[in-house]
Amino acid sequence: MRADHRATLLRRRVFSPGFFSVSFRAPDLARAVLPGQFVMLEVAGRLRPYLRRAYSVADADPSAGEVEFLVRTIGPGTAALEDLAEGSRASLLGPLGNGFSLADLEKGARVAVVAGGIGAAPFPLLFRAFGEKGIRADLYLGGRNAAELDFRSRFDGVGAAETILATDDGSLGAKGFVTDAFARGAAAADPSYARVYSCGPMPMFAALARVVQRAKIPAEFSTEAAMGCGFGACLGCVIPATDKPFLVSCLEGPILPPERIAWEKVV
Amino acid sequence: MSGALETRLGPLTLQNPIVPASGTFGYGLEFTDFVDLAKLGAFCTKGLSLHPHAGNPPPRICETPAGMLNAIGLQNVGVKVFVEEKLPRLRELGATVIANVWGDAEEDYVAVVGALEGVADVAAVELNISCPNVEKGGMLFGNSPSATASLVSRVRAATRRTLVVKLSPNAPDLVESARAARDAGADVLSLVNTFVGMAIDPVTARPRLSFGTGGLSGPAIKPLALRMVFQVARALPGVPLMGIGGISDLSDVLEFLAAGASAVQIGTANFRDPGVCGRLVDELDAHCRNRKTTVAELVGRAHRSKASAGGEAGAEG
Repeated sequence: MRADHRATLLRRRVFSPGFFSVSFRAPDLARAVLPGQFVMLEVAGRLRPYLRRAYSVADADPSAGEVEFLVRTIGPGTAALEDLAEGSRASLLGPLGNGFSLADLEKGARVAVVAGGIGAAPFPLLFRAFGEKGIRADLYLGGRNAAELDFRSRFDGVGAAETILATDDGSLGAKGFVTDAFARGAAAADPSYARVYSCGPMPMFAALARVVQRAKIPAEFSTEAAMGCGFGACLGCVIPATDKPFLVSCLEGPILPPERIAWEKVV
Repeated sequence: MSGALETRLGPLTLQNPIVPASGTFGYGLEFTDFVDLAKLGAFCTKGLSLHPHAGNPPPRICETPAGMLNAIGLQNVGVKVFVEEKLPRLRELGATVIANVWGDAEEDYVAVVGALEGVADVAAVELNISCPNVEKGGMLFGNSPSATASLVSRVRAATRRTLVVKLSPNAPDLVESARAARDAGADVLSLVNTFVGMAIDPVTARPRLSFGTGGLSGPAIKPLALRMVFQVARALPGVPLMGIGGISDLSDVLEFLAAGASAVQIGTANFRDPGVCGRLVDELDAHCRNRKTTVAELVGRAHRSKASAGGEAGAEG
């Protein structure tokens, strides 16, 4: 059940300035959370940031009672988390949202994960689930440059069958967009990918939506929209939809199939 | 819970003065994991229109210092779906429901209120004449005392329910708007809705909200809203008021009661802390026990204290 979990910051792992992960002790949350779900995190007692921030749960360890978030500092919310001292408390409201689906995949199925920059955040927990189910997953990880992927060591040992890196400037891995690297990989994959899971910025999603539609690969995108509450009360996080005016990202997502999103209306 | 928290709003008696505000509490059902709805004084639904309404395109919200701007644009399921699909569950949960309604034109308000006539378990109707985020209706009715009077008298003629009118802080003269609403038959006034504000992306120089402007809420507006409640309470003694504006903790509740509100509405704080309203009921209860006082005694204290006699708080101009 959703609850407001009082959590203690256990440790912070800094990958490079502005890229870090934080692990909290939150046993009930660690037991309950599914891959792709998120929490609304509040660093207590502040008027700026005033609203909580949505974070995908990067990993959860029920036996240790820990949950982890993978973060890039971009504004006052993430900065507050970067400054939070170990041993401090924070409130984690969750688990929220629907999560990735993988129950229907058969053992030995081959899937792909496509992540743009810090959009990789929700995937360690998903790889854990792949491992438990015997699903073979390739990781496509892209960014504008090598510095945007400074956190990539977090994915060492998560169990990716292959890891394909791409940067716009060619400073790491293949030169070009990760969506192009994925398109090449998908064309060559045998057996073909049964599903692709993705998280990243909207322009990357829009490009990937075209690729998966052409290749007829079912896809699930972890969408991001500014959320005021995370549980359907404020209706701030809507995304233009194909089957009705708007999807409420926090309630109906954040994991959505690309065909439900009206890409031409997404800014 | 003691009877010390009971509060009267004209014909309506609430078990306590803590009421989640419209637009910040969904249809109540979104909050059942976090608060027992039966414990609240009442709650105000998302603004209901005659037909379902899609609202504005994103981006709809933007954080600001100690608050937020929103331009949701009154997205809602429509009064019919509310009555058929939401209200039965609210009834089971023991919620006291105040139906917030809005429309583009006077006829729309009358039609929504008409659709609620004869529906059991709606304790009151709250007219939203103060939403800044729609092209028509909304704030237009709140910004002119004559438009307010015309709308309120038409709705008054259409219902015998307790009629609450939610006023806009953007009105040129809030006291005149309040007087117009009262004279036209409002039983209760709730004040204030959001302040029209704006945020601009400094890099692109474009407004951060798709609507351009939005309604400012949260602790940032509390002193402004408190002044307005105090001012209306002083100008119109005896008119039951619900105070709204950035209320987040017990101290804020006590301030609004002192300023003359008989109940308070909690808005943006519900986003940050969905359990806040239940906790405020407990804290107010403990306060009344410890101080051996009642909500009835706390209402309007600021007008009875000597210190308030000197300044014409919030004089216009």
